[in-house]
Amino acid sequence: MRQVQGVRRALAAVVAGMVLAGMVRPAAAVAETIRLGAILPLTGPGAVVGTQEMRGIQFAFDAVNAKGGVQGNKIDVVFEDNQAKPDVSVLSFNKLVDLQKVPMIFTGYSGPSLAMAPLATRKKILLINAGAQSDKLRNASPYLVNTLPSTGDEVAVMSKYLIQQGKKTAAVLFENDAAGIGGRDDFLDLFPKAGGTVLAQEAVQFGQTDYRPALLKLSAAKPDVLYVVITAGMVPLVQQLKQMNAGFLVAGTTFMADPAAIADPASNGIIHTQVQIDAPPDLSTAFKAKYGDDMDFFARQYYNAAQIMVTVIDKLLTEKKPITGENLHDTLFAIRSFQGLIPMEFKSNTATVPIGINKMENGKDVTLLKVTAE
Amino acid sequence: MVWLQLLVNGLVTGAALGVVAISFALIYATTKIFHVAHAGVYTLAGYLAWSLASRGMPDLVSLLVAILCCTVVGALIQHQLYARLERRRATHLVVLIASLGALAVIQNVIAATYSSNILQFPVPWGSRVETFGSVRLTWTQILTVVLSVAAYAGTMWFAHRTILGKQIRAVASNPFLAEITRLRPQRIYVIVVAIGSAIVALPGVLVPLDLGLQPYGGVTPLLTATIAMIAGGVGSITGAFVLAVGIAVLQNLSLLVIPGEWSIGVTFFIFVIFMLFRPTGLFAKAR
Repeated sequence: MRQVQGVRRALAAVVAGMVLAGMVRPAAAVAETIRLGAILPLTGPGAVVGTQEMRGIQFAFDAVNAKGGVQGNKIDVVFEDNQAKPDVSVLSFNKLVDLQKVPMIFTGYSGPSLAMAPLATRKKILLINAGAQSDKLRNASPYLVNTLPSTGDEVAVMSKYLIQQGKKTAAVLFENDAAGIGGRDDFLDLFPKAGGTVLAQEAVQFGQTDYRPALLKLSAAKPDVLYVVITAGMVPLVQQLKQMNAGFLVAGTTFMADPAAIADPASNGIIHTQVQIDAPPDLSTAFKAKYGDDMDFFARQYYNAAQIMVTVIDKLLTEKKPITGENLHDTLFAIRSFQGLIPMEFKSNTATVPIGINKMENGKDVTLLKVTAE
Repeated sequence: MVWLQLLVNGLVTGAALGVVAISFALIYATTKIFHVAHAGVYTLAGYLAWSLASRGMPDLVSLLVAILCCTVVGALIQHQLYARLERRRATHLVVLIASLGALAVIQNVIAATYSSNILQFPVPWGSRVETFGSVRLTWTQILTVVLSVAAYAGTMWFAHRTILGKQIRAVASNPFLAEITRLRPQRIYVIVVAIGSAIVALPGVLVPLDLGLQPYGGVTPLLTATIAMIAGGVGSITGAFVLAVGIAVLQNLSLLVIPGEWSIGVTFFIFVIFMLFRPTGLFAKAR
C-alpha cells in the first residue's frame, strides 16, 4: 500500500513539476511567429523606391528566419501598398494594427508617415521610417523613429559644399507636397545662411513628368545651381535637363538616387547628398542573386532598419517582456547605439549618421566626400 | 528667349492635345455621348505600343498595331455598351456613368497588368535633340507636331471630302433625317467611335514616348480637350484643335508672369470668362 502511495506521490510530483515548468517557461522558449507590418508604395510613381524598401526588409528577415529566427521565433512582415498616399496609409495602418495586431510598422515617404504619426502615438505603435526625410518627421510623434537624417541636415551639408564650389546663386525645383515643400523651406533658410542667394523657385505636382515649363522659367533666372527636391519621375527630369543643355549645376538630396536615373547617361554630372550606408560585397551579391537588382540605397536603408528591429526584439525576448509597440520603443532608446550596416545613434527620434556628396557619372553614383552631420 | 521656347513647347503640347480634342469632338458631335472612356482608350494605346516596343517590335509597327487595337476597342465600346444602353432607352446620365465605369475598368486593368509605375519607352532616338536657333526640341516633340498636324489635316479631309465623312456629318446634323435616308445612324456611330479611337491612339503613344506612361494619365488631357471642344464650338474640328493649342500655349506662357501651380487655374479662369461672352464657342459659325 505504501509502495502504491509512493508511486502516486512520485507521479503527482512529476505532473506538478511539468505543470509548473510550463507555467514559468519564458516566453522566448515558446517558438512563435512575430508579426510586423510595413506600409510602403508598392505601386504608383513611388513604387521603384518602395519595392526596393520592401526587398531590403524581406531580405533581412529571410536571413534571420533561415537561421532559426530570433531566439527561435520567426519574423513575418505583412506588407501593405499605400501608393505613397497619406489617406491610403491611414487605412493600411488601421488594418495592420486592428486586424493583424502588429506592434510596429516600417514606413516611408513623408506625407504617409506624417499622416500615420498621430495614430502611432494614440495606439502606441512603433513606426520606423528609413526613407522619408521631411523635417516635420523629427517631432511628429514619440513613436515615429527615423533611421536617416532629415532633409534639413542634407540641405545644410549641400549648401556649404555649393558655396565652397563657388556656386552662390540658386533656383529651386520642388514637389508640391510635404517632402518637397519641407526641402524647399530648408534650402530657402540654409542656403542664404551659408552665403548664397536663392533667385527663383517653382513647384511641380507629385507624379508630374513634364518639367520643361518650370525648368525654362528657373533657367531664365540664370542660377549657378538648380536645387531639386522631388521624389518621383527622375528619368524624365534628367532627360529634360539634358535637352535644355542648361549651363547650371544640378544638385539634390538622397531622393535623386533613383537607380534608373543614375543609369541614364543624361544624369552625368548631377550631384546630390547621400546618407552614407554601404553593404558588404557578399551581402550585395546575395541580394542581387535573389532579386536580380543591385542592393541600392533604399534596400540598404530598410535592411539596416530591419536589423535594428531584430536587435530590439532579441533584447525584449531576453528580458522576457511582451513584444508591444511601447516595449519596442523603450528598448530601442535603451539600446540607443546600433552597429548595423552603419554605426547609428539615437540621441533623439532621428538617428545621427554620416552624409556624403555624390556625383552621377557614367551610370555610377560616385562619392566625392563624406561629412558627419548631427 | 525663354518665351520662344515656352511658346514652342506650348505648341508641341497643344498639337497633341488638339488631336485628343478633335477625336473627342468627332465622337461627341455625332453620337452626343460624353465618351469619358476615351481617356482610357488614349492610355491603352500607349501601353500597347510600349508592350510591343519592349518586345523588340519596330516602333512604327508598335504604333500601327496600337492604333488598330484602339480602333477595335472603340468600336466594341460603342457596339456593346452605348448601343445596348440606347436600345434600352437609357438617359444621357446613365450613358455617362457607363462610360465612367468603362474608363475605371480600363485604367484598373492597365494598373493591374503593368503596375502604376512610370514606364519609359525603350526608344533612345526619342530623346535626341535638334536645335533651331535658340529653340531645342527632341525628336519625339518634332514627331508629335508633324503627326498631330497631319492627323488634323487628315481628319478635316476625311470629314469634308469623303462620302463616309459626309455621312457622319449628316448623321451628326440630323440623325432622324439620316435614318429616313437609310444612313443607319447606329452603324455610323460605331464607325465614328472607332475612327475617334484610332485618332486618339496617336497622341496616346506620342505623349508617353516623351513623358512616360502612367495608368491614370489620360484624364487630364481629356479634360483639357473637352474644354477646348466646347470653347472652340461643339462640332467644329478646327475650333477644337485651335483652342487646344491655345490653352497649352497659354499655360506655358503664363509661367512668365505667375508661379506654375497657378497656371492651370488661371488659364481655365480665362476660358470661363471667355465662355461667358461667347457661350457657343469661338468657331461656332464654322459648323
